[in-house]
Amino acid sequence: MGTVGALLRELLRRPQSAAGTLIVLFFLVLAVFGPLIAPYTANDQSHPAAQAPSAEYPFGTDHLGRDVFSRVVLGARSILLMAGLGTLIAVVLGTVVGLAIGYYGGFIDDVVSRTIDAFLALPALLVALVTLGIVRNLPLERGTFAAWLASNSVLLVIALVYVPIVARVVRSSTLDVKTREFVEAAQIRGEPAVYIMFREILPSVVPALVVEGSLRFSYAIFLVASLGFLGVGASPPTPDWGLMVNENRRLYHLTPWALLYPTFAIALLVVGVNLMSDAIKRIMQRGG
Amino acid sequence: MAADGRTPVLTVRNLGVSYRTNGGWVSAVRDFQIEICPGQIYGLVGESGSGKTTAARGILNYLPPNGRIEPGSEVRLLDESLCGQPRHVMQKIWGRLMGFVPQHPGQALNPSIRVGEQVAEALRQHRGLGRAEAEREVIEALRRVNLADPERMIRRYPHELSGGQQQRIMIAMALITSPHMLILDEPTTSLDVTTEAVILDLVRDLITGQDTAALYVTHDLGVVAQLCQRVTVLYVGEIMEDASVEELFETPLHPYTIGLLNSIPRLGATKRDRPLPSIPGRPPSLSNRPPGCVFEPRCPIALEVCKTKPPLEAPGEGRLVRCHRWREIAAGDIPRETMYEQPREGAVADDLHRKRPVLMEVRELTKHFRERRSLGEVLRGEERRVVRAVNGVNLTVRRGRTYGLVGESGSGKTTLARMIIGLTDRTSGEIELLGADVKGTVRDRTPEMLAQIQMVFQNPQNTLNPYLSVGQAIRRPLMKLGGLSRREAEREVGRLLAAVNLRPEYAHRYPHELSGGEKQRVAIARAFASNPALVLCDEPVTSLDVSVQAAVLNLLARLQEENEASYIFISHNLAVVSYLADYIAVMYRGSIMEVGYAHDLFTPPMHPYTEALVSAIPVADPNRQTTSVRLEGPPPSPREVVRGCPFHTRCPRKIGRICEEETPPWRDCGEDHHIYCHIPLDELIEMQKVGNQREQESGET
Repeated sequence: MGTVGALLRELLRRPQSAAGTLIVLFFLVLAVFGPLIAPYTANDQSHPAAQAPSAEYPFGTDHLGRDVFSRVVLGARSILLMAGLGTLIAVVLGTVVGLAIGYYGGFIDDVVSRTIDAFLALPALLVALVTLGIVRNLPLERGTFAAWLASNSVLLVIALVYVPIVARVVRSSTLDVKTREFVEAAQIRGEPAVYIMFREILPSVVPALVVEGSLRFSYAIFLVASLGFLGVGASPPTPDWGLMVNENRRLYHLTPWALLYPTFAIALLVVGVNLMSDAIKRIMQRGG
Repeated sequence: MAADGRTPVLTVRNLGVSYRTNGGWVSAVRDFQIEICPGQIYGLVGESGSGKTTAARGILNYLPPNGRIEPGSEVRLLDESLCGQPRHVMQKIWGRLMGFVPQHPGQALNPSIRVGEQVAEALRQHRGLGRAEAEREVIEALRRVNLADPERMIRRYPHELSGGQQQRIMIAMALITSPHMLILDEPTTSLDVTTEAVILDLVRDLITGQDTAALYVTHDLGVVAQLCQRVTVLYVGEIMEDASVEELFETPLHPYTIGLLNSIPRLGATKRDRPLPSIPGRPPSLSNRPPGCVFEPRCPIALEVCKTKPPLEAPGEGRLVRCHRWREIAAGDIPRETMYEQPREGAVADDLHRKRPVLMEVRELTKHFRERRSLGEVLRGEERRVVRAVNGVNLTVRRGRTYGLVGESGSGKTTLARMIIGLTDRTSGEIELLGADVKGTVRDRTPEMLAQIQMVFQNPQNTLNPYLSVGQAIRRPLMKLGGLSRREAEREVGRLLAAVNLRPEYAHRYPHELSGGEKQRVAIARAFASNPALVLCDEPVTSLDVSVQAAVLNLLARLQEENEASYIFISHNLAVVSYLADYIAVMYRGSIMEVGYAHDLFTPPMHPYTEALVSAIPVADPNRQTTSVRLEGPPPSPREVVRGCPFHTRCPRKIGRICEEETPPWRDCGEDHHIYCHIPLDELIEMQKVGNQREQESGET
């Protein structure tokens, strides 16, 4: 993994990107080791309710007597997992679609590209709400794949919203690369299209893809938090940051800390990811 | 120099330029000096990476943000010192006292402003002229650069002009304030040879004998020979030699200059005469410069003393050379002709008169592209326009022989090659390889057929996948088309690398670690991996430096002999084609104008178009001016259907209505030499005799 190491070194060279990278790494540590770090479980209501931050409860407790610090720490995993996995699915599917329409061109490209354009005109949140509304109300048998998918519908939504965007970026890179002579050299030795797309073209598209993926990731975090806040994402009593903001927003005069800390966590993570994705873009465009 | 009593316009001494990189400051130009007098065109010649453009930009005091001029540098324009001047002072000098003509006029002109306004800008900026006054002067300036109908020209946008017209606009713009100094950076490199010739004539007429001094930056020694009075040869940022053009070409004193002059293919010299000597090795990177003489690692006559830096010495009045051994070269103790080891490969013994069996037959091959319509055109119900790229071309390629294709850009030679290789579908026509029908595109062809026809592409930067190692790039066709197992293929990669003169460890390198010449060698090895009967070479040496180009040409010649392969060799450079090809077709607007054996096609040229091409080549010999047949204007748009002879709109020897109305006959000159022209053979021969006499007379005087 020499390239990842080199990328990390580059990221740590400038103060801005180093800050972003450290923030993201910090939350990753929380996501992985959260249960070890958090002093209590998420739904342990045995604490005194509505306690201001103190030595025992650094972020205070909420009106149900749950430790806010533990809930914020434990909430890191679900948001990173949802946003990360969703982005990954979007990137993989978007790459396949983008490579195919970019490489084949012609009629298929016209149809798919115009559909993508139409799709991009719709606000992401609207698409998400409509999709969730439909999926949640489907009469699905428990234990089937479809039911599993419905229970993780936030993942599905992120993928759905971002596949067209990723596909469009990959398509335009593919159009640029496919006229290069090494692609023609592959064509004149009769390579199948799949080989040319994935072996010859894809590596040259990866830099653009990494940039786009990191950007999508930061949007996805925001989307997951928004869905949680609107109550269509995770359901109570999950320690979801967006959900926590929503639950505590009407009680802000009683327990402002229970509102403040999850909000701050979302903001910090989004800023961190953005700083990092800016830096990745700069490094990739320089041809690192 | 100041020897003739004139005061130089530009005096440069001890100019140094450095760039900041990740590893610190890297020196790109050192100890550069030059003196240019009014009316003089000074050539600054060097290969890529020699620092010639950096030196020119240093003189202009116009460097990229990571560049700096070293302290102690001295650049004087008349009485003004330019070094260390802040930007706002330079802005008054640029455009008013110093004009600049860039390499790519299309990129230098603003696409959304009419060209007349762009030229007028300099007048309004520096002389404060009003609109009407400025326009009058602009029209006058466009007339001076021989642009037809300047009143209408000023209203056009850059995209409506051809490359040659754009470059004339740039020259008009640079000269409109009557600057003291004009700097031209490779102004003709992106133009066709016939357009280049016209631009060179123009620059010569505008500068010679006038008050402006010119610095002409180029990689082409032919241009220097035909245009300049003096020349400086640059290598890795240092002056190697500086002399008058006559002296430099007749008695070069530096081994590098000698190597460059040796490696230029001359028109009429073929692979059967002698192999082309090349300069071994490659230039060092700027950050890894040799401590002594910068040319020492590649120099054939380097001694121990060459590990120390040679001083820039003056062997005579107005001459400079930086070499420890120039005295021996000047005295003739080291002969120039044999200084470089004659290449072991390249010279071909194959007898041209021995008829070879036919490998491929191309019959009436035609490609008409149908253009996409704009929305407006669709709504107006206009037909899709047809671009006639190739019109019924016939070729016969023989086994083990090279078929050369020459022509200007847009002549259809690349489209023809792409149809043969199967990357472009043909509109009509047939291709037959060893009696078997060759299908339209690669998708329809059998693996056996694909293996038979391979290709070497033009651009070394794009020819290899940057993410695959050299070994992977060559192994793939071996396994895919050669049917070898992975282990067999690995072994074969080593053999192929050796065949293109690369060491086996290159298999593990990636393209960014290779020089342009090395990439092209790998591309050749890849093309030969499937043991093809026919290799298409589309401008394979065009983007290489001369010193490297020769080695690649020799390599192609040797591989052809060893493998009995046939080539279709495409180039716009007549000398390169005539060196390697046995048989040549001259193409114009999708049709073949003349075909014949390489050795007698250009000496003398018979067809008026061939004649114009030959006469446009800048010959690397200041004493030989070619007869000047010049083609005015660009070729007509390929969308237009030209009746009669395709060349009649530009032909300087047009004989009348017959050229416009009837398609010309194929005239047989014997020896498989055919000419597509209305002018009878004996008259064509007569014309060339007259031309030759004139040339000889002018050569004698």
